[in-house]
Amino acid sequence: VTGKPREIAARRLARQRAAERRRTALIVAAVALVVLVAAAVVGVGVYHAQTGSPARVIVPRGGTSTGIVVGKPGATVTVDVYLDFLCPHCRAFEQASGPTLDRFVAAGTVRVVYHPVAFLDPSSTTRYSTRASAASACAADAGVFPAYLRALYVDQPPEGSAALSDTQLIALGRQVGATSPDFAQCVTSGRYRAWTAAVTDAASRAGVGGTPTVLVAGKPVDPPTTDALTAAIQTAARGG
Amino acid sequence: VRPRLIAMQPWAATAARLALGAVWIAAGAAKAADLAASVRAVRAYRLLPESVVPPLGAALPFVEVALGLLLIAGLGTRLLGAVSGLLLVVFVAGLASAWARGLRIECGCFGGGGDVARGAAPGYGGEIARDSALLVVAAFLVWAPRSRWSVDTLVAR
Repeated sequence: VTGKPREIAARRLARQRAAERRRTALIVAAVALVVLVAAAVVGVGVYHAQTGSPARVIVPRGGTSTGIVVGKPGATVTVDVYLDFLCPHCRAFEQASGPTLDRFVAAGTVRVVYHPVAFLDPSSTTRYSTRASAASACAADAGVFPAYLRALYVDQPPEGSAALSDTQLIALGRQVGATSPDFAQCVTSGRYRAWTAAVTDAASRAGVGGTPTVLVAGKPVDPPTTDALTAAIQTAARGG
Repeated sequence: VRPRLIAMQPWAATAARLALGAVWIAAGAAKAADLAASVRAVRAYRLLPESVVPPLGAALPFVEVALGLLLIAGLGTRLLGAVSGLLLVVFVAGLASAWARGLRIECGCFGGGGDVARGAAPGYGGEIARDSALLVVAAFLVWAPRSRWSVDTLVAR
């Protein structure tokens, strides 16, 4: 490569400029990458801070960390019902098949494990699914869970609304016999919200994504019609 | 026509940056509001082992918001376009796989997610089309990252 000294100098300067620009671009890209990685770390940290340790979850009377058990001790068939108090199809299931389940429970054949999950929190403006589920745990403490569950479905608010206030949830409890100040205090303080989160997480881990999901002896009944449910319970009761 | 197109490119890239950035921020912020739901949405695809589901579901919303903020600032545009494209390819693959396996889930793209209610149909086609359109925008930024109103051009002087 030949040329006048001035041209050579100009070319060298251009090369230097280009190298500098590449280095700047590389540094900027590195900064962006660091920001993205930091954001990921923050996300994981926030999640851990929010979920906390499962050991700290308070469990309601007659309940476990994954649901509330209704039935007599000798019952042979376990029915799992995953429900969301805001879900219209759960209401339809309860109103169609609830009485049948109640008969099997009264006969001592079936114990029902209700899992009141909060999948639909974004579908109300007040996280109603969580509040109603936590309130149902308060009702379990008061010994009126089955009646409270029915009452919540009778007065089910529409999706997308502000739903029922805590005051209304307390009034519903009073209607079914939860008259103690402890029930009201339990609802307003959100005593069982962490329990609801644990129930919801356990449902997701168990592969349950939608509500209602109904399992008889661990096997899904889909769609959960009253006839299919009855048939599945009878088969399971015969030991099949 | 040629020189005019070349003159337009930085403005087109600016528009691409702002549009893609706004989408990332909207999608990430909606998911960050309920991280537990974001984790459940990732789990619902049933593609990943349980050990990586919670960290991924928790990290993703924050990474999306950061991507959006960096895109709007125009800091490292080409890299951001590449990362955006990579994420979108993964999303499209996940949606296509869920569709092919007959899973009835909501994408969880803008929060929520998990299985759809009984009776409702998941809108896989529309979601894949939207992500593919965004993928074109991301690819454009990798190909021509030079843009107006960006930190990139500010520090390149």
